[in-house]
Amino acid sequence: MNFIEIKDVVKQYDGHLALDHVSMDVPEGIIYGLLGPNGAGKTSLIRIINMITKPDSGEVLLGGKALQPEDVAQIGYLPEERGLYKKMKVGDHIVYLARLKGLDKVTAKQRMNEWLERFALSEWRDKKVEALSKGMQQKVQFIATVIHEPRLLIFDEPFSGFDPVNAEQLKQEILRLKDKGATILFSTHNMESVEAVCERITLINNGQVVLDGRVDEIKQSRKQHLYEIEQVKSSEPLPACEQLYTIEKETGHSTLIRLGDGTTSRDVIKWLNEHVELAGFHELLPSMNEIFIETVKKLNK
Amino acid sequence: MNKLGLIIKREYMSIVGKKSFLVMTFLIPIIIVLCMLIPFLLTKMNNDSATEKQNVTIIDETGALAQAVKNTPLFDFVTLKGEEGKKTDAHEFYQKAGEAVDAIVVIPADVLDKPQVTVYSENTVSPALLKHLEECLGDTLTGAKIQGYNVPELRKIIDDCDVELEVNSVKWDANGNENSSSTTAAMIFGMVLSFITYMFVIMYGAMIMNSVIEEKTNRIVEVIVSSCTPFQLMMGKIIGVALVGLTQFALWVLIIGAVMGITGLSVGGVGTDGIGAIFQAISSIDFTFILICFVIYFIGGYLLYASLFAGFGSAVDQASDASQFSTPIIMVMIIALYAGMACMENPNGSMALWCSMIPFTSPIVMMVRLPYGVPFAQLALSIVLLYGTAALMIWISARIYRTGILLYGKKHSVKEIFKWIK
Repeated sequence: MNFIEIKDVVKQYDGHLALDHVSMDVPEGIIYGLLGPNGAGKTSLIRIINMITKPDSGEVLLGGKALQPEDVAQIGYLPEERGLYKKMKVGDHIVYLARLKGLDKVTAKQRMNEWLERFALSEWRDKKVEALSKGMQQKVQFIATVIHEPRLLIFDEPFSGFDPVNAEQLKQEILRLKDKGATILFSTHNMESVEAVCERITLINNGQVVLDGRVDEIKQSRKQHLYEIEQVKSSEPLPACEQLYTIEKETGHSTLIRLGDGTTSRDVIKWLNEHVELAGFHELLPSMNEIFIETVKKLNK
Repeated sequence: MNKLGLIIKREYMSIVGKKSFLVMTFLIPIIIVLCMLIPFLLTKMNNDSATEKQNVTIIDETGALAQAVKNTPLFDFVTLKGEEGKKTDAHEFYQKAGEAVDAIVVIPADVLDKPQVTVYSENTVSPALLKHLEECLGDTLTGAKIQGYNVPELRKIIDDCDVELEVNSVKWDANGNENSSSTTAAMIFGMVLSFITYMFVIMYGAMIMNSVIEEKTNRIVEVIVSSCTPFQLMMGKIIGVALVGLTQFALWVLIIGAVMGITGLSVGGVGTDGIGAIFQAISSIDFTFILICFVIYFIGGYLLYASLFAGFGSAVDQASDASQFSTPIIMVMIIALYAGMACMENPNGSMALWCSMIPFTSPIVMMVRLPYGVPFAQLALSIVLLYGTAALMIWISARIYRTGILLYGKKHSVKEIFKWIK
């Protein structure tokens, strides 16, 4: 069942069409990537899902029902441009945001303490936010996003501003939340993290959906029949066979070939086995990064 | 607690919890009271403390007037007779006397024809001495002159002719009953109330604007509005800051009252006559009614201006850019204040009438008019206009606000901002 259904949403700002009939379905319990270049309309769409702004037309369904103001309690949002009240104490700040999301005081305090412990921030509870390092502030923001245990989590560039160690910790936390049943909408430019965690994606360009589906299927459909071949005797060049493949690139220890139309990998392996001693043979699928750049470039031409 | 309540509480605590709030709240009344009391205490101290007595020698060529000068705690007078038919050389005498004499007063023989007395001294002559001489000798001279005319009971006649005109103003109420009223007290009272409104709106309006801009520069605002509506956030801010203002105001009244009470006791009933007169005059004004009107206008005016500050604050990225919007708002306030002052001259004139109807000036101008009495219909219309405009302004500001807080990086013209209202 689809947890979020976005149906034909249009949003216009001052003569500029930010979202042009966008539709998107996010199944429950997965990590869904919302991709797109800067200014594509990701933040506009996220703000509509968060009910910060209203669409000009179209609708957003959450669990099959149109969004209601009370639904904010079910959503946790970590915006790309994020900040905290600098003069507030860390603990008070988390409790305040949690209570705005509808938690009662006791539960909010209890969970705040648990989360601070989890991130080893307990000793900072009574310090002012401005005393924290940037990384610690980011963690506080993350806690404030998830503390009310929302069923839908929206992360806009969650890893920006995190060092690799903290980014990994954050990734593990996100995966843990997914395992506990949360649906996660992930907006990012960081394609490596998309490949690492997202099951499905939607790519938006100039306010329009230009690509969507499962990450593995998209990669399969965009494959260019490229294979990387390694030989035991790596110094020897790979013999050419124009009926089967063309050699794209030769590096010191491997060769990149492109299979001709109608050729299967089985044919190539069979032929190669007769001529060289194979050490490795594997298909090169395009990375999401390549797909992203290629798709956007092609459209913007 | 609902979301609005939470926001109000946070906004309130974020200001009241600051050290600067405490400092301001306790220092300002103390400074005000000190400013009022210091000149007072200084004079008193000056009179009390027996600073060194000065020895003053009076050389009286007439031989009759010097006895009118009485000794005071500050001055000891010694009277000498001048040499007859010869002009006194004060300097010669002074040199002879040495340090025993601080000043020499010469009363010339022809003082009755030419009323002039001269004080000689090496130091600056203290004003207190001059004043004392003037008082003592002036009356005696007048008496002597009057006697010189040899008219019986002339003194009494002159006293009788001395007229001090008192102008009383009496206002009729609807039944034609007489109410005595004091114009001066009414004027002061009205002016104080309108000034309070002005100060409050400017101070706390700016506070709201800063708070809006701070949230925007902090980038916390997007997190907050994903939990509540922009309208709740804006109203929470406006109400929270209003409560801060009321707290501060109440504390000021308490502290000023307490400090005045304490120092008033120690000063020992100085000027009770004056205070009594003021109280008498004030009691002739309908206090409760004016205070109720004050609260009504105050809230309306605050809401009107506060929402303006919040709306335009949201269109700004940095505090330093805020002045392009806050200056015009403050200008309007200043115009209102001047209009209020002008209306004091003629509280029922057409300018006063119009300015007390226009919502942007009415909270200030009406305060000036109220002590003089305002027809009920005018009052009602003015209040309706004020609250109607305030509601409209909140609606407009809310629309500007919800767009403004999410737009970054660009300065917005007033024209653009008006587009957001649609």
